Amino acid sequence: MRKILLGTTAVVGAALLAPAVAVAQEAPTVRIGGFFRAYYGNTQQTGRNSTGPSTLPTGTGGATGNLPADSTGNIARLSKNDFSTDAEVHVFVNGKTANGLSYGAVVEIAFNQQEGRNIVQQRASTGKSTASIDEYYAFIASPTFGQIRFGDEDGPVGGLMNSGVVTNFGSGGVYGDRESFVSRQANDRTTTAPGALGDNTKIIYLSPQFFGFDFGASFAFNYNEGEDTGCSTNQSSGFCDSSYAFTGASGFGVAAAGPNFSARRNEYQAAVRWRGSLAGVGLAVTGGYVGAGAARELTLNGTQARVFNNLNVFQVGAQASAYGFTVGAQYEHGDSNFFWGNTLRGDRPMDQFFAGASYTMGPFTVGGNYVIGTFEGNSRSAFTGPTAGNPSGLTRRADFANGAGMMRRLGYGIGGNYRLAPGLDLLAEYSSYTVAERGRDLDPSNPGVQDRATAKVFIVGTRLAF
Amino acid sequence: MKPALLALGVLLPLLSACGAANQRLVQNDEYGDWRNGRARNRPLGSNAGLVVFGVDKDREAREAAANGGGSGLSVNAYLWRATLDTLSFMPLASADPFGGTIITEWYTPASANNERFRAQAYVLGRQLRSDGVRVQVFRQTLDRGQWVDSTVSAATNSDLEDKVLARARELRSQSASR
Repeated sequence: MRKILLGTTAVVGAALLAPAVAVAQEAPTVRIGGFFRAYYGNTQQTGRNSTGPSTLPTGTGGATGNLPADSTGNIARLSKNDFSTDAEVHVFVNGKTANGLSYGAVVEIAFNQQEGRNIVQQRASTGKSTASIDEYYAFIASPTFGQIRFGDEDGPVGGLMNSGVVTNFGSGGVYGDRESFVSRQANDRTTTAPGALGDNTKIIYLSPQFFGFDFGASFAFNYNEGEDTGCSTNQSSGFCDSSYAFTGASGFGVAAAGPNFSARRNEYQAAVRWRGSLAGVGLAVTGGYVGAGAARELTLNGTQARVFNNLNVFQVGAQASAYGFTVGAQYEHGDSNFFWGNTLRGDRPMDQFFAGASYTMGPFTVGGNYVIGTFEGNSRSAFTGPTAGNPSGLTRRADFANGAGMMRRLGYGIGGNYRLAPGLDLLAEYSSYTVAERGRDLDPSNPGVQDRATAKVFIVGTRLAF
Repeated sequence: MKPALLALGVLLPLLSACGAANQRLVQNDEYGDWRNGRARNRPLGSNAGLVVFGVDKDREAREAAANGGGSGLSVNAYLWRATLDTLSFMPLASADPFGGTIITEWYTPASANNERFRAQAYVLGRQLRSDGVRVQVFRQTLDRGQWVDSTVSAATNSDLEDKVLARARELRSQSASR
């Protein structure tokens, strides 16, 4: 096996790296680009007034209860109004060798290291706008054999090659910048955009286009990004990118925000795309698949339990554009939860449908998009430990009723932008996103059962890409 | 399953290389950039941004296009002047600074009345490079009242190219020292 692998790798390597065409060599250039944006946002989110005073010094405690109005009738709540700024600085290195290979690297520096403020200790915490890396990767491309990207980057299914996801208006509509204004309460956030699949460290192959077709494939060992292993010791803990099993894995189907802490392992993506035009109408169609295994749950006495389904999602999308109009739609189905994470065994698969349209006339672009999906909600199972008759260790929750566990997530966005100068946009956008799950209280700190949570965000602001 | 995937992973790139005529490299800005749409709408796609290191080819091309509207040379000025200087001992038939070609008339040296020479020179680009100029010399000899083609020693062409390059270097250093 090893011989075959080495042999074929050598053939591919020779074919890829030694095209016989003579091309003028280009010394590498280094470019600086990026974006800056500043928005005003007005947010109406259910449950935002359930702000029982958090007495914890770290500010990480859950909402505890709704305070009654004080004697003058004031209710403690979060404000609806806020400004939000964000920027990234991108460094692009590009060069070309004498035999026609182009090569380079992209380093994207972001300034949003922390989503929520979280005080570890006085003067020992990370600032909310601390610099961090969004994506960084190197690439080698040949006109004959396509391109290899290696590093922290979106995959072919998770952003690079999707069709039908129309987001070229406002800040992106329902997949836009609305999340900058929405708190994580009740997970009322758009978490299933293609790019939310993650820019974990991977190796990506992207083919040249032939007869309108191109395809791509990627592989990642795990969900993590960046330099180190994440393992502080050899202990098989969840902090360790490479642990096959760890205690508490069943809780990390949904990735922990920030440290890319997830049970996803051995992720592979593949996509085929066709682009062309028929009678003056530009068309693009993409079909793709993402699959991944998962770390096992490890009990304290060393038993391993396979608690997760493999990640297993198919995706098809298509879009058409003519006379300034673009319309598109995308459908996804498979085993995944609402955070592109592994579902527990026995959970329902996800279905998601997206549709969008936009119209560009001179410097103006207007558009709208809509997304609806059904997902496993509050999982029907809990990990209680494997037994002889139940090796997965998952048991049906006592309070699980028939028909429960189905979460619907739907949202829409409409917006427009005006191009003031190349790269400089003024934009306005309204979006709404709702999470609904029958019988589940999504806002436990208010009395009664709120089985529906909505966040509506109006954004107006400016964005400069340079 | 795994060997099949592996084989596919090896075969597909090789297969993709068979398209030839209907094939092109997909440019970097044809792939989505999913930061929720924030970083998109960059002007000029991946060529955007400020060059902080290296030569900005796009800017060079833009400036050349801006300057070249009928007046400027579209080939390297030093090589062009040097070629004209070097071949100036022969009468010129045509000189096209846009195509970079210089063609001379037949020239008979005073010392040899029974042979004549003609030269064609091509200045190949905007860069001052050693391979930026090609000279081709043709020779005819007088044989019983008829001019017939005869061979030119291989070194003649490269000797003339060397002379052009040396002259170009002179011109370059003169203008640099000014």
